[in-house]
Amino acid sequence: MSSPKVILTSSDGEKFPTDPKVAEKSILIKNMIVDLSPDGLEEDFEIPVPNVRATVLQKVLDWCEHHKNTIFPEDEDEDTKKTTPVDEWDRNFLKVDQEMLYEIISAANYLNIKPLLDAGCKTVAEMIRNKSPEELRKIFNIVNDFTPEEEAAIRRENEWAEDR
Amino acid sequence: MNFNDDIDAFRTPEPEEKKDGSVLTPFLTQHISESALPTDNYHKYCYRHNPEITRNKTVDDDKMKGLQENIDKLTSSDQQAITHVWSIFSAAPSNQRKLILQGILSQCCFPTLSYISSEVSSLIKIDFISALPMEISLKILCYLDCVSLCNAAQVSKSWKKLADDDRVWHHMCEQHIDRKCPKCGWGLPLMHMKRAREEYEANVSDEPPQNSIPPSQVTGECEPKVQEIKAEPEPKRRRLSRRPWKSVYSERYKLEKNWRKGIYKMKEFIGHTDGITCLQFNNKYLITGSYDTCIKIWDIATQTCVRTLTGHTKGIKSLVFDNQKLISCGLDSTIRVWNYHTGECISTYRGHEDAVVSVDFSDKTIISGSADSTVKVWHVDSRTCYTLRGHTGWVNSVKIHQPSQTAFSASDDTTIKMWDLNTHKCIKTFGGVENNGHVGQVQCVIPFNYKDKLYDDRGFQDSSGSESEDYEEFNEEIKNGPSHILTSSLDNTIKVWDVKTGKCIRTQFGHIEGVWSISADNFRIISGAHDRLIKVWDLQDGKCLHTVGNNSSVSCVGLSDSKFAAGLENGVVKLFCFD
Repeated sequence: MSSPKVILTSSDGEKFPTDPKVAEKSILIKNMIVDLSPDGLEEDFEIPVPNVRATVLQKVLDWCEHHKNTIFPEDEDEDTKKTTPVDEWDRNFLKVDQEMLYEIISAANYLNIKPLLDAGCKTVAEMIRNKSPEELRKIFNIVNDFTPEEEAAIRRENEWAEDR
Repeated sequence: MNFNDDIDAFRTPEPEEKKDGSVLTPFLTQHISESALPTDNYHKYCYRHNPEITRNKTVDDDKMKGLQENIDKLTSSDQQAITHVWSIFSAAPSNQRKLILQGILSQCCFPTLSYISSEVSSLIKIDFISALPMEISLKILCYLDCVSLCNAAQVSKSWKKLADDDRVWHHMCEQHIDRKCPKCGWGLPLMHMKRAREEYEANVSDEPPQNSIPPSQVTGECEPKVQEIKAEPEPKRRRLSRRPWKSVYSERYKLEKNWRKGIYKMKEFIGHTDGITCLQFNNKYLITGSYDTCIKIWDIATQTCVRTLTGHTKGIKSLVFDNQKLISCGLDSTIRVWNYHTGECISTYRGHEDAVVSVDFSDKTIISGSADSTVKVWHVDSRTCYTLRGHTGWVNSVKIHQPSQTAFSASDDTTIKMWDLNTHKCIKTFGGVENNGHVGQVQCVIPFNYKDKLYDDRGFQDSSGSESEDYEEFNEEIKNGPSHILTSSLDNTIKVWDVKTGKCIRTQFGHIEGVWSISADNFRIISGAHDRLIKVWDLQDGKCLHTVGNNSSVSCVGLSDSKFAAGLENGVVKLFCFD
């Protein structure tokens, strides 16, 4: 008999039998397993993931599978965290449309997968970095809801940062 | 694969439907009632159709208008047929929608696919910052630099709220204030004195300022200060109305920009009748000593001399002050302690056999260096004096490093010595050709702690990485010792030394005559030399940032977050203000 699996059920009812080692990249799932079967899994263990759609869950599990042997340094100090660029594989992995990226970030947050959440946030930050306000509105389809007066005042308020 | 079956299943009902409409109605009835179960909007709706998200709506409105115009041009039967397709699609549950789309996509030829692809990429845009939970949006913003954050604040109201958030800017401040950000290379001044003054004024009866180290003569004790900045919000909240961190950041950023671009206002202080030999300043006072035997206290704001201290019988050579007292020494071989607020000389220390050319103090310990080649340590409370012997020439500079209870002395004999203030023994001598030491008289020494990487003569060096055996041994001996020392010499160079190894790791060239004086903080080195030049250097990489020429040689310099001062041989003192 094969070793017991964690069976994750997506919001749209799809079932994903997953190796516990992979599923435990999610701290939420890891804690659930520890709480409900402290002696380790003896049989298949079903966990519903009601906030995550099947396509997203598949993507997140792909990430977990790839990183199942990666050891992420815990409690890195802020500097290292901020300066470390997104890992090459993760960068490619996150080259998806904005909807998918949004759902991956939400799922990583819900499932408590910190390295994936970090990578997702960094990816969004990269989309924002060094863009003008107008470019940002275009990229994210945002309507400028300032009045022209407000806009001028806010521009003046932020002028100090330009031209370094 | 049963994909084709699916398509067939989808196609067959169509002719029937056209005959009597019997397919459409039950389909709609069934699925619309199914999906009408109310749940919260974020689960029921996708990002695009969530009524709580309004940002995409105008774009969609334009699209819908165009759609209406186009459908109006069709015949009514065509209109009905197309509307049916839409109705079915819109009523279908998501798995069936996918199926419908798969069928449609498989029928598309490349021009249509290309149209879909461009439409889709413009439709799938998500306002991450507004749509994600706030803590995640803030996390994203914390990865940005200040220019990007200021641009983000101009995007929309909800972006402004988050991009101006105090937590984001507090994080920015932590990253940049009093240290160089490893990511962008910018560091902002601590403005230590500014806060000290604000706190002092807000609560005068508070315990006296605890700095035993003269604050404007920053020797780079960055560790205790970094802790202070983290504790900053607390006292501020208690005592002062709290300023947004963004404004704290921008104030310091503007100052740093002026430093980088060399934008300053210069003030001159004229009154001494002979060459200036030493100076120190804080927010309020600039205090200068001269060969004319006088010490003058200048009010920086009004640029006037508020008091002249007389008593030394020969030229002044060095001075150092804190909020209460001033200590001076001179060619008359004495050290004097003054209450500079009243002008009274409190005490005079005699003991050196020749001119006293350097002095420093910390807490209740005074240290002096003399032309008699000795260093003397005066313990004020116990009224004891120890003489440290070892140098073979004038001792031009002495500095106490309080955290490690050590002292440094620089001498005409081209060496620098490190002393243990508890045992009064020499721990280490810095010099010699083998260590790439100075070849001229050493005029100034500054011990400091640098946590990040310093460039050495070969490039980058991780100051914390080299854990040689030497270091281990040394570490047991001296706790909290400085990591480096900075020295200047009449051999025209400024040197950075690794205290652990005792070797000079970097030599800064540029002055064409002897460097009389240097001053430094966590970001910069200021040097004044006989070639009449003042130079501003980057502490980390040792590059010269600015050079300022004068009409007389520069004998002493001082540095603070926002200013530097230079005393000239012709008796003029200049203050360069970057704020």
